[in-house]
Amino acid sequence: MVMTLYHGEPTGPSLTVLAALFESGLEADLHPIDLAMGERHAGAIPLDDEVNYSVEGEGPVLVADGEPLCDSVFIGCFLDDAAPGSGLRPADPYLRWEMMAWCRWIIERLAPGVAALANRAWTTPRLAALDDAAFAAIIGRIVAQDLRERWEETRAGALSDEHRAASEARVQEAAKKIEDRLADRDWIMGAFSLADLESYAWIAPMRDLLPAAFEGKPRLAAWLDRVAARPSVQRALAQARTAEPAHGFAPGPEINRWG
Amino acid sequence: MPGQDMSDDLTLYHWEPNANSGKPMLTLVEKGVSFASHYIDLLAFDQHKPDYLAINPMGTIPAMVHGGRLMNESTAIMEYVEEAFPGPALMPADARDRWRVRWWMKYFDQWLGPSLSMLGWNVGIGPKVRERDPEELKAAIDRIPLPERRVAWRKAIYGLFSEEELAESTRRILIGIDLVEKTLAQREWLACDSYSLADINAFNSAYFLPISQGEHCNDEKTPHIMRWLRTIYARPAVKTTWAMGRTAMANRIKIFEGEEVEKW
Repeated sequence: MVMTLYHGEPTGPSLTVLAALFESGLEADLHPIDLAMGERHAGAIPLDDEVNYSVEGEGPVLVADGEPLCDSVFIGCFLDDAAPGSGLRPADPYLRWEMMAWCRWIIERLAPGVAALANRAWTTPRLAALDDAAFAAIIGRIVAQDLRERWEETRAGALSDEHRAASEARVQEAAKKIEDRLADRDWIMGAFSLADLESYAWIAPMRDLLPAAFEGKPRLAAWLDRVAARPSVQRALAQARTAEPAHGFAPGPEINRWG
Repeated sequence: MPGQDMSDDLTLYHWEPNANSGKPMLTLVEKGVSFASHYIDLLAFDQHKPDYLAINPMGTIPAMVHGGRLMNESTAIMEYVEEAFPGPALMPADARDRWRVRWWMKYFDQWLGPSLSMLGWNVGIGPKVRERDPEELKAAIDRIPLPERRVAWRKAIYGLFSEEELAESTRRILIGIDLVEKTLAQREWLACDSYSLADINAFNSAYFLPISQGEHCNDEKTPHIMRWLRTIYARPAVKTTWAMGRTAMANRIKIFEGEEVEKW
């Protein structure tokens, strides 16, 4: 299989997918892109409906034999399906259920909160610095209206107190959930898995924005170091092209419309 | 029912064959795995009562207990059923096809599903629930264990949807209908060339589209969706699953026999 990975800075979903690729041992051409400047939509990547309507928002795209794949957890599952024995998923069906349910919580509850806070802090200034025509050129190419609206909100720096508080609560909740989970284990699933990458990729950048969420959580701190020390994660982090790669976000998943 | 009799060891807690409850129900029946069926009345809020919370502390439906181990999250349960039991394969072999199955399930679960349920609650279920004693409803909401579910249920029960939210839901449903129609014009099944978990997942929401969105989803405008829905409806497993329904909701599926059905 011929694969090309178009990825952003090693943070959020791009970090998950880069590290999962390296864990799998599969080969792919790596193409760094600036997600926050809309380079995913610039024409080089063959986007289709699945990518355009990805719930994850602006994440990496893995083109496998011509077909673009998105959504970091599902790319991780794909890599595990393509390279059985990669260790990205447990073999036991019950543990797989547990891993998928865990990842669902991360992508549905934590990720939208992190995306809101990270984009407000780090992407808003970049987009606000663009003139109207340059910004219009970026979002004019985006197919999904709701994603386009999240770009507009990000540029405007629109984050209500309520939305910010809810997002911070998600980060607090996730930090506690991981701390509690690690009471009897080194990794989320017992053995290392995709769940560690996905959880790390979303929560680690929050150390810079919400350090209070990490205070008094020794198991969380040790796990963050453990994940970061994995050769796959080290190699992913080495793909950085900016001084603060953890800040390299772009408009991501929305908060669940039911609240 | 053919296949393995697991009913001593396997219990599914479910509501009507619809949306999230219907997903593991139809998956189990398609696999030929028999199970103890435990009906939980969602609209009586049985899922938040102590008896059920003792089984599933999250207070969500569906939930499944296999060999003493609890599972929730309907789509993750579907993948578990596929992997843990023998029977007809409901996941394709090819890695990219499997990716597409998961993509479509997430699209229905997280993008289209919330819009479908919002309109369903606004027009159909909400007004009926609000006929109940207000104090009883308030107590039911206060019992919900997960804070985010409490927020969602409050919205659902009291119909706290803004015009903007409802318009956005309608917009998404129309986009979803277009995307599903376009996809099914290209291939027989939603995610790949074989019937899969994606079809089971999607059918549990999409069977209702010709009823709720009849002017946009019909033989003339969406012939491929209608062909796909009827083909799935013809499967024996669908008849078995829908026979587990206890309310008028389960009769809506008779639309595929040409019957007039109640809209909500």
